[in-house]
Amino acid sequence: MPKQVLIRFERCVGCRSCQLACAVAHSEAKSLYGAVLNGEKPRARVFVHQAGEHKAPLNCRHCQDAPCIDACIAGAMHRKADDTVTNIGGEQYCTACWMCVMVCPYGAVRSDAAGTMAVKCDRECKDDQGVPACVRACPTGALVYAEVDAYSAGRRQGVLLQALGGV
Amino acid sequence: MHFVIIGNSAAGVAAVETLRRPGGGASEITVVAGEPETAYSRCLLPDVLAGRRAEASIRLRPADFYRRLGVTLFSGVRAVELQPGEKKVLLKDGRELTYDRLLLATGAAAVRPELPGVRADGVFVLRTMADARALSAVARRVTAAVVAGGGLVGLKAALALKLAGVAGVTVVVASPRLLIRQLDERAAAMVEGELKEFGVQFIYNAGVKEFITGTGGRASGWRQDGGRFSPGEHLSGHGPDGGRELPAGCLSGVVLDDSRELPAGLAVVAKGVRPETELAARAGGRVGRGIKVDEYLCTSLPDVFAAGDCIEVTDRLTGQPVNSALWTLAFEQGRFAAANMLGQRRAYPAPLTRLNSARFGAVDVISVGRLDGPEVFTLDDPLSRTYRRLVFDGDRLAGFILAGRVDGAGVYTALVKSGRPVKQHIRALLGGRTGEVAVSGLMAR
Repeated sequence: MPKQVLIRFERCVGCRSCQLACAVAHSEAKSLYGAVLNGEKPRARVFVHQAGEHKAPLNCRHCQDAPCIDACIAGAMHRKADDTVTNIGGEQYCTACWMCVMVCPYGAVRSDAAGTMAVKCDRECKDDQGVPACVRACPTGALVYAEVDAYSAGRRQGVLLQALGGV
Repeated sequence: MHFVIIGNSAAGVAAVETLRRPGGGASEITVVAGEPETAYSRCLLPDVLAGRRAEASIRLRPADFYRRLGVTLFSGVRAVELQPGEKKVLLKDGRELTYDRLLLATGAAAVRPELPGVRADGVFVLRTMADARALSAVARRVTAAVVAGGGLVGLKAALALKLAGVAGVTVVVASPRLLIRQLDERAAAMVEGELKEFGVQFIYNAGVKEFITGTGGRASGWRQDGGRFSPGEHLSGHGPDGGRELPAGCLSGVVLDDSRELPAGLAVVAKGVRPETELAARAGGRVGRGIKVDEYLCTSLPDVFAAGDCIEVTDRLTGQPVNSALWTLAFEQGRFAAANMLGQRRAYPAPLTRLNSARFGAVDVISVGRLDGPEVFTLDDPLSRTYRRLVFDGDRLAGFILAGRVDGAGVYTALVKSGRPVKQHIRALLGGRTGEVAVSGLMAR
């Protein structure tokens, strides 16, 4: 069963460690200092938001019937064998038409710094134990990388659908 | 079980992928495609015209797609008749296919208004790979072009012609501004400004009345190049070669409603599309603003389903029947139709039928839902080149336009779709803090 990055909202303190780790993992240098010294401006693909008193990280949910795959006019957005939804590594490349940006209900697909392609969680950030950088970096355990059993998958889906209105 | 799919673009491809999902069973799938190419992205044809992309690079799926999924593909052959009684489809080449369940994903065709000269050499539409190919060949030899229509296709074609090296590109727009069905004045002005930077010219409140050919006339708007005429160089028609004759039937210009003449060696008619409903209609299927389907995307004919630009859908916001005609919708309908062909009974929810994203130069625009409504809020920040227009109907977001920065657009789209009351988040939404609103929705469970 494919693993998912799950969020335990009540544990998030809004430290943005996940955001920083994500950006660093997606930099050429693969280290914070290296990226800064190289003048890189890598983009994070997980975002910590403040909603009322709560803070919460939000990233791509790799949806089952992913609207971003439906919307991609280039055929770049696709699902890999491990269930990851990504616009890189396929036969076609992203054309920056922002159709995926228009339909992602989580706002989890964004443009790169230059505005030349869409970037999103691609899980190309896992360490030697197969743990994504955002999860590894989270000091409070708000992010968990785990298999989702059918029950909680249903529950999670239900919650998200309810919250965002059946998308 | 033998599934036959007529059509090989977004809806057809999505249907094939869905039919081949785990649990889809060992069915036989045959795809009939009128065009000779394997599935490609229509939306990217302007990039081919502009010379930015090769034909193969706008292929929608890898070349081995059909073989890998065990699909028999008949390409370059049209289906000419549907016999729902016998469950048969007749192809142009005389072949007959028998189906258990059929999907009509026949798409739409570009409208060519019946104007004098509309069939002349040099008058094009931009809908198929063949159109793009033909246009590219002529674009290399012309220096003046006219585009009739200020919609998405017209503007993309105009910019592409400019990038392909056509010196003078004029867009003739019937409305007082461009993209009237997608944008408000401010956003349209941003797009216009950007296109003008590229040198595209606009004539508003005008229409093309006639396409004139060079028969016996002056080579108005054509360039002489190695003994061959190339339309467009002598915009005045009085250059050194202005007196030479054009080959008969070749476009030399267009006449506008007010009798103004514009020299042009090439014209693109971008006046929208009409759904390809003929196959269904002649077989006795019900047709409105497209092939009529029920909530399971089944037509009025037994075991005949339909999806994509060829169908009529009910707009989620207005409840009005409209032609589908959007890439995203075609794809999701292909998925839903296929699930229903497999007997899974998945009802297709009424879609948003304004759902556009486009990029013109460095200006990105996204337009979803209603353009106008009881309450409209806008934010215009020229410094960051950001414009947001939010249309509220009571507590609900009914539509929006984003121009410039478009990050987070999907959150607005989800809100328009769901109708969740979000008036209390107006500041965050106007300020682009969409994550805040998305998370607040998750928290409110």
